[in-house]
Amino acid sequence: MDTVENAEDVQSDESEYEEIAHTAAEVLELMEEAWLNEKFAPEILPHKYDIVECLLGQISHVEENLTNVGNDDLRRSLHQMELDRLRYLVSSYLRMRLEKIETYVYFILKQEEERSQKGEENYLNKNELEFAKAYMQSLDQHFTDRLHFWPGNIPTEWKNQLIIPNIHSFVFMKAKNEIEGVMVSHVNEEEEVVDLRTGSQILISYSNVGHFIKTNQSCLI
Amino acid sequence: MNPEEVEFLGEKQLISIIPTFNSSTIHLVSGDIGPFRASLPVNVPLWVAVNLKQQRKCKIQPPDWMDVEQLELLKEAEKASRNFVKMPSEHYMIEGKLLLSIATDDIARADEVRTIIKDIWDIRMAKLRSSVNTLITGKSYGNVDNLTIMEINSMRPLIPHAMDQIHRMKMERPRFSTPSQSTSLGLLNSSTVISTFK
Repeated sequence: MDTVENAEDVQSDESEYEEIAHTAAEVLELMEEAWLNEKFAPEILPHKYDIVECLLGQISHVEENLTNVGNDDLRRSLHQMELDRLRYLVSSYLRMRLEKIETYVYFILKQEEERSQKGEENYLNKNELEFAKAYMQSLDQHFTDRLHFWPGNIPTEWKNQLIIPNIHSFVFMKAKNEIEGVMVSHVNEEEEVVDLRTGSQILISYSNVGHFIKTNQSCLI
Repeated sequence: MNPEEVEFLGEKQLISIIPTFNSSTIHLVSGDIGPFRASLPVNVPLWVAVNLKQQRKCKIQPPDWMDVEQLELLKEAEKASRNFVKMPSEHYMIEGKLLLSIATDDIARADEVRTIIKDIWDIRMAKLRSSVNTLITGKSYGNVDNLTIMEINSMRPLIPHAMDQIHRMKMERPRFSTPSQSTSLGLLNSSTVISTFK
């Protein structure tokens, strides 16, 4: 029963996506870009589950069709290879996000809470949020259990020190369209303004360009 | 990113093949390929071409730039220019490596092509290494126009990290003169917190 329901879910997702008029190939492009952005950005980026689900829908669609194709058919091996490529892309993307969530769990949850309070869009998807909360809970539980053996007063200051992503790390960025007035901050608090042409590539601190990634004006490479 | 992942990205580049079989259009997620008619050229992604070639189901038509004369010109241009010359393909190294390893019989003067591509790569990498110094001592950003993904990737483990460390060291200094930044935590703690926060 479960599988049937899932398949229907997938189909409805697909039709939703078609309304915004993306071909499968375009979705794949978007997924690749999201994958690279997530890979190189130091912080977690707004999730792209609409793309992920659309691509997963494509995968199960192709899989279904493959059952009718003979084993020695050339089509089969090519489709199979492509499926493997797509699966790699999606799972690598999801795994990278989980890794970030595990590393920065306290910080990310705090940010997500602030976002909810301000009524902003959450960066994590529902399931990721659930995972993050469960992960934090077991981490807390683990520390409580272990610190139980601590002689004397149990230290608590460490809890105030969050592990946060280093948003100053340097990234390679490619401008997708013309961007004027990128502020590059220098150490002596001077700022320099740089204009980027379409397609130009630059090595720059993420803190100066993070918002261009989120607003889809440029991508990381 | 490891080189295999760069290759993964490069493999979607289209390339022309001459199939030795017949088949109707294949609807891949990344786009339709075919129809295949024996001895009529058709464009397919590189990974399909590699796969078909390995099954001996096609001949590969090397891209226009994979030609000794053109590559020689490119090499001279690269030598003469102080900046990086735009490469004929965003993934020239990957295409070169893959095609020269599986389709040597389809490429004219394959050994010479291989040597020149390697030369161009070496020239560019040497340029890259010598520009690292200006990059690190100079501004807090650097232009990397015309560098291909593979080249960018080869400097990824070192340069962004080095620039980040320099940035951290520069940020450390002013703090000692402004004690107002220290928080209720011990000085040592606050410095770690601030240096990561900034």
